[in-house]
Amino acid sequence: MTGNVPYGDVWVIVRCYNEAEVVGSVIAELKDSFPNVVGVDDGSSDRSGDVMREAGARVVCHSVNLGAGAALQTGVEFALIDPGARYLVCFDADGQHRVGDAVAMVDRARSEGLDLLVGSRFLGTAPTGMPLSRKVVLRVGRVFERLTTGVALSDAHNGLRVFSRRFASGLSLSSSDMAYATELLEAVARSGFRYGEHPVEIRYNAYTLEKGERSINSVNIAFDVLVKALLGRGR
Amino acid sequence: MTPIKGLLIAAILAVLVWAFRHRSRVGMRAGIKLAAVALAGVGVAAVADPGLTQDLANLVGVTRGTDLMLYVLVVVFAFTQAGTYFRFRELEVRFAKAVRAQAISQAVERDGPPGPRLAADPPA
Repeated sequence: MTGNVPYGDVWVIVRCYNEAEVVGSVIAELKDSFPNVVGVDDGSSDRSGDVMREAGARVVCHSVNLGAGAALQTGVEFALIDPGARYLVCFDADGQHRVGDAVAMVDRARSEGLDLLVGSRFLGTAPTGMPLSRKVVLRVGRVFERLTTGVALSDAHNGLRVFSRRFASGLSLSSSDMAYATELLEAVARSGFRYGEHPVEIRYNAYTLEKGERSINSVNIAFDVLVKALLGRGR
Repeated sequence: MTPIKGLLIAAILAVLVWAFRHRSRVGMRAGIKLAAVALAGVGVAAVADPGLTQDLANLVGVTRGTDLMLYVLVVVFAFTQAGTYFRFRELEVRFAKAVRAQAISQAVERDGPPGPRLAADPPA
């Protein structure tokens, strides 16, 4: 808390690509709990940027679409300009997350001194409405990431995450696409910072499933991660 | 497959991995250029004297000169593909950094830096 403003030391980062239909209500709901919200408009061709601004968010606009990882890095770098920022929250723009979960995660990260807290849809009540293909991909991904990073999380690709300032300051995500989630695990494994998982609920509906990541994209992610691990480190 | 073939394949893969892990070293970049020139020289010589590839094949224990050519081309193709992949990834990272810097700079210029607003500040 900064001064008397609850969660005044928290910045919520909402990455957005053509989500004008829903992102306004997502930002408005966030603003009820968090005074600082930054929307990263990742080169949308619709009114996403204007909608986020009208809903009360600060908006950073990519001139072209770069991808989820690049947009997250932009949000992190923007939020860290605020010297009062102590915690950063990553929150998806499609309305699949609950603001109450984000609040609880910030409280827990603060009370337990965690540097990375990742939401997990598998720790609480069993998720409903999740397609079988996504369940399979997430479970295979869990094993793959445990092998490649050594970090064991039940739902590393959950979009709801909390970073401490010191963890965020060391981030330099080079994967523009969804492979950034594995990069986050590598970063926490390298740093030795404290991390944890928090049970969250995902609101699956026709819109979030339509806009969500395609299961087949896991092949691209796995390829990029393996090539980078095998060949990409030498400079 | 004979054991020697397995060893040779493993050696080729190991060289590929090693070369790409050290691809940014000046010596490595120079080595790749020299290898390309040498390969072009061998190509010219093979056109001028078609029996040369067969002689080389005999020298390294490959049955036919065309098979040797195929093996060499597969390795060159793998190098080229991997090189292009990394080149694009590096350009992508640089491009993202440039777009990001521009986006943040514009946002700060438009609404001021993020942080607590003073009473005198204009609304965002």
